[in-house]
Amino acid sequence: MPAETHVEQTPMGPDEVLSLIRERLAEILEIDESRVTRDARFADDLEADSLALIELVEILEAELGERTVGFSVDDEDLAELTTVGEAVDYVVARLGASAA
Amino acid sequence: MTDGQRVVVAVDAMGGDRAPGEIVAGAARAVAELDVGVLLVGRVAEIEPLLLQGDVPEDLEVLDAADVIAMDDEPLSAVRKQKDSSIVRAVEAVKDGRADAVVSAGNTGAVTTAAVLRLGRFKGVPSPAIAVPIPVAGQHPQVLVDAGAVVNPAPERLAQYAVMASEYAQVRWDLATPRIGLLSNGEEAGKGDELRKAAYPLLERIPGFVGNVEGRDFMHADTVDVIVTDGFTGNIALKTLEGALRALSGLVFGVLDATDEARQASSVIMPDLLRLAESYDPDVTGGAALLGVKGMTVISHGASSARAIVNAVSVAADCARRGVVDRMRDAVRREAVTREAVTDAG
Repeated sequence: MPAETHVEQTPMGPDEVLSLIRERLAEILEIDESRVTRDARFADDLEADSLALIELVEILEAELGERTVGFSVDDEDLAELTTVGEAVDYVVARLGASAA
Repeated sequence: MTDGQRVVVAVDAMGGDRAPGEIVAGAARAVAELDVGVLLVGRVAEIEPLLLQGDVPEDLEVLDAADVIAMDDEPLSAVRKQKDSSIVRAVEAVKDGRADAVVSAGNTGAVTTAAVLRLGRFKGVPSPAIAVPIPVAGQHPQVLVDAGAVVNPAPERLAQYAVMASEYAQVRWDLATPRIGLLSNGEEAGKGDELRKAAYPLLERIPGFVGNVEGRDFMHADTVDVIVTDGFTGNIALKTLEGALRALSGLVFGVLDATDEARQASSVIMPDLLRLAESYDPDVTGGAALLGVKGMTVISHGASSARAIVNAVSVAADCARRGVVDRMRDAVRREAVTREAVTDAG
């Protein structure tokens, strides 16, 4: 495992990723964090438009990129993510792929 | 910008159907004719030969940006993938303090996306709106907001648009309390779809609100100064006006050129007609303003000429000097127009 691919060794689990997404999305949408649950749908429940999701992605790439070099989100995949839970699972999988 | 310093406007040199030639020419003219500095952003290799064709003004700088976002690129992914594009770099110049405002005639969606991601939105304003000046004979233009940024906004967004556009109109045309109308299908308060019915009581709390207006109230001096609507109907209204004006001018000039007698008669009124037609030229209105982002952003139309860029730079610089962005942000905070606030007030 090349050292440069892991700035920090501890991998993030689903709970930690959910916590990060909940915090950042609540900031972007200016809503209470309690509304950002795994089941919450971005458009229907949280009124998050595509611009808000891109903001979230840019923040996640910047913050998670510090832990796992090479972490990124494909724009094409964004349309498939309709709930917070799906986004959490996607990020966890991408973190795993980047670390492998 | 500090007191006594010259305002600098970042100009996206590569954006627009006539870029970079007309944009570079317009930027050079703006520096020569206005009390403003310009930071031209784009491919240096393409910009510099254009500048060498004339005298390069002292207050014109060039910032290299290798990428160009095309007019038909998908805005969100274009901004994310082309971080060294002229649009992104021009907006970043405002964020970094190198410029006080930005002008682009490029991809509107990409300019909006870059402004949101790099400059940030006002607190409480989820998405920016596009405010377009609509020419009115014999007086200042009306402001149409939103002309297409958000297709399906919540009712309180329309109230925010009204608050921001009112501040903008106050500064642009020195209006004390701009008259605000909600675009609907009838003047009575109960007219309209669910969005308009829900937005009406929120707008009633805003100084200057006069009620519903109809499509026929566009371009008339005795109606309102600000017309508020959602981005879907706003864009349709704007394009309808453009199409109708083009058709009408074609008909008028066609009649005046139809016969020898008509041509002879038209020589008398043609100078006045041409002056009138020019006042409706989008090149002279100064472009659309993006309301709700933390930096003065002006979007000039896609076919912008050098003159359009001069006017857009003039508007951007004037708004920067007069602190329009801060005024709009303060007004949104002050008015705090929410459905909850209206309900609480009974």
